[in-house]
Amino acid sequence: MKTILAVDDSATMREMVTFVLESAGYRVIEAEDGAQGLDRATAQNVDLVITDQNMPNMDGLTLVRSLRELRDYKSVPILLLTTESSDSMKSQGRAAGATGWLVKPFDPATLLEVVQKVLR
Amino acid sequence: MERTETGTTDARDAAQAADLLVTVATTLNERLAVTAGELARSQTLLREASNELMTAFRGAADRIVAAQRDEGAGPEKSAEYGLVLDHLYRACQHLQSHDLVNQLIDAQKLRVDKMREKLAQAISLAAPPVVRPDQAEPWIERSRAMLDCIVAGIQQIDQDARAPLGEKHHAGSVDLF
Repeated sequence: MKTILAVDDSATMREMVTFVLESAGYRVIEAEDGAQGLDRATAQNVDLVITDQNMPNMDGLTLVRSLRELRDYKSVPILLLTTESSDSMKSQGRAAGATGWLVKPFDPATLLEVVQKVLR
Repeated sequence: MERTETGTTDARDAAQAADLLVTVATTLNERLAVTAGELARSQTLLREASNELMTAFRGAADRIVAAQRDEGAGPEKSAEYGLVLDHLYRACQHLQSHDLVNQLIDAQKLRVDKMREKLAQAISLAAPPVVRPDQAEPWIERSRAMLDCIVAGIQQIDQDARAPLGEKHHAGSVDLF
């Protein structure tokens, strides 16, 4: 069973992502912000990270950069799931090493499609 | 003599202008206080509705995930679960909107609060008595300081402004790098 780390400061968003992924058979662990996400990811290797951008303590882009510095996360897919949709932010995401960018509110079927694609 | 009278008239006009500015800032601040209250009330109502919906959603979601894991379920049951799951997925998409609207209200509240802070600061500049009330210059300086304060508040709002609603067509979009 693949394990996915869902990072978002909104409990509702975490719950939505977790429900959709668990209903499709994935195991999900959650984190409330980038700093906690980094802790969780270093404590336990995960197969995919889905993170929000705007969060307290550590934002999504910083989390992506921090994870990419770790040997175990050089090639693990990381998706940004955020309300931010500007091209400049997406460029920053790409430069930081993100695998993809999804804009909220997400369509569950589309999220599952993307997850399956990047985990393949 | 004529010059002194002109100076007094100028001072009176400048004092009236400064008073008018105080009246406008005070009125605007009162209106913004009402707006802040209405935003807070909207947020409370939204939060209560969201909590109720989330409780119902959670109950249904837990049940369907547990049912799906039941390996004894036949193909008919599985198809039925799939239909229920589709409904829950649709609900999931709209429950996210509740959360996002809540965040938007938070941002608006912050902007209103910051503007109210600047207006209060502008009004406080009019509190101390003018040192030379018979001269126009001190009144003009006071008005200028108040206006600077109000303009700073507007600029702060512009800096904080985000446009998620204007970019609604991006919602749900996906870019894989």
